[in-house]
Amino acid sequence: MANSEASRLVLRNDVAELKRLAGWIEGFTEQRTSPDVSFALQLCLEEAVANIIMYGAARDDPLEIAVELERNGANLVARIEDNGRQFDPTRAPPPVPARSLEEAKVGDVGIHLIRSFATGMNYERRNGRNRLTLRFVEPPVAPAE
Amino acid sequence: MDISVDDLAGGITKVVLRGRFDTTGAVVVELPFNKIVTEKRKIIVDLSAVNFLASYGIRVLLVGAKIVKNNGGTLVILCPDSNVAKVLKTAGMDALIPLYQTEAAARAALAS
Repeated sequence: MANSEASRLVLRNDVAELKRLAGWIEGFTEQRTSPDVSFALQLCLEEAVANIIMYGAARDDPLEIAVELERNGANLVARIEDNGRQFDPTRAPPPVPARSLEEAKVGDVGIHLIRSFATGMNYERRNGRNRLTLRFVEPPVAPAE
Repeated sequence: MDISVDDLAGGITKVVLRGRFDTTGAVVVELPFNKIVTEKRKIIVDLSAVNFLASYGIRVLLVGAKIVKNNGGTLVILCPDSNVAKVLKTAGMDALIPLYQTEAAARAALAS
């Protein structure tokens, strides 16, 4: 296994692309990451890319969503770049816990899940593009007894 | 993603979901799931064979639980400890929908 590996995928803003994204991530993480990091990566990328697909464009304007994965030792970095409307998920307020099932609001948990499952999250707006960087760290392997 | 229904003793309906409960999977099961939660009153949603859960899946579960409650019934989730359970808890669902790790516990909760 090489110590540093990278891969890139370009998607359109179509919900059907999420299936392609999931298959691509699975291919990258297989043999390269622990099941927990693979799960966290799948979850965070699904949420981030689904948000862009659903809210990134006005009407049916086509968007380009580029996803890059880079593994370096125990660190995995995912970069998501899109040319949709400006949106900084790091500034989204945390959801307010509902007091009852009746009062619970449907939706609004995606960004909270990204915050909780990624080790780090950074946003930049550069040259008219959103650039979200997510970091994941493999937990240290427990020493054998 | 697959959905199947088992009628258990005591008027309990077990809805078994299998596969990836992501946006792609949720779109497939949303309609049949909504039909079940509209018709039944005591429901166990079995997520034991669900290996992935994202926010669209959570949305389907939450809407379902609201419909059942509104009809005077109860929906509970059967989900062994896993990353799927961690997603449910992180999203605050465990405070809104009863979550059980075994079928016996889920059935007992609906028997009363």
